[in-house]
Amino acid sequence: MTHLSMAELVALREPASAPGTAAAREHLAGCAGCQVELERLHQRAARLKALPSLRPARDQWPAVHARLAAERRRRRHQWLGISGLALAASVALALVVPDLVRPKRLDASTEISEVMARSHDLERALDSYNPDSRVTDGLTARVAGELEDRIGTIDRQLEMAQMLDPREGQPELLRLWRERVGLLDALVDVHVTRASDVGL
Amino acid sequence: MLIVESSALLARARAGDPDALEDLYRAFEAPAFTLARRICRTTEDAEDVVQEAFFEVCRSIRQYRGEGSLWGWVRTITASKALMRLRRNKYRDADDLDEELHVSRRADQHLRMDLEAALERLPEVSRAVVWLHDVEGYTHEEIAGMMGKTVSFSKSQLARAHTRLRRWLGEESVA
Repeated sequence: MTHLSMAELVALREPASAPGTAAAREHLAGCAGCQVELERLHQRAARLKALPSLRPARDQWPAVHARLAAERRRRRHQWLGISGLALAASVALALVVPDLVRPKRLDASTEISEVMARSHDLERALDSYNPDSRVTDGLTARVAGELEDRIGTIDRQLEMAQMLDPREGQPELLRLWRERVGLLDALVDVHVTRASDVGL
Repeated sequence: MLIVESSALLARARAGDPDALEDLYRAFEAPAFTLARRICRTTEDAEDVVQEAFFEVCRSIRQYRGEGSLWGWVRTITASKALMRLRRNKYRDADDLDEELHVSRRADQHLRMDLEAALERLPEVSRAVVWLHDVEGYTHEEIAGMMGKTVSFSKSQLARAHTRLRRWLGEESVA
């Protein structure tokens, strides 16, 4: 008597009856040996499911978080390049077409432009320091990470603010850019001051 | 794991809130590592896979539309990364081991392993298929799609895996 192969037994476990399994089912109905084999197959799968859950020996979150921060920094640089151009264009438009723009808005644009320039300078200072390539202590890394996160939040708010009507959006843009500069200042301070402390 | 299914936490994670993303990582760290470790050859590979998978999860959480469970979405990303790692490591296909296994079959007849050791001993591809199908609940069609192979390949790997497990567990007798 030919018993069912493992491939046939495995096919019998599929939820929808696969084509070509009718003969196998017929055999199974009259074969105690194959019924035992199928039951063992079910049991084996159940035991596999019951194997204990595993945990990594090392916490991977700090590495994931660091990679996300590095990517956010890269994206921030790209975004700053684009938004800088857009803002420069809007300032130029305001200068060329004074009839269309009130003096108050021109002032706000100029102020935003100045704060943005300061932000760019700080980003450059941070780049030249290149924190990703340096070894930092745990506290510095944590504070820097928190500042990076807050800058990331500001950047998302800046993206939203740029979509607002310019008249309504400029005060909000100015506030956000100022906050961003404050946080960047703190970030540069955290990295550079810490480096000076240890003589790097 | 249920806590991360809350819409408030998901909304915060989508907004890029680092605390919410970390909560998500903590909730799924163990099942993701278990899946990765069952597929990958070493613990180090599995840890790398978990890191890759969660980097991807955090980057693309906004693309999760809520269709199916969040764990199902994280699991598919983790499985894809683990299979990618297998390909990168140029795994030995189960077929390559046939001759080797044929030679060692006689010794296997006197060998009784526990299930965990037997699973570990399976060739990488067979182990991945048996785990994805029998434990994680993927269909042969889904496994074939993830592995870039045919449905028949997935089915035959599952049958081979069970044939070997049966032998190594000392269950080969009746049929």
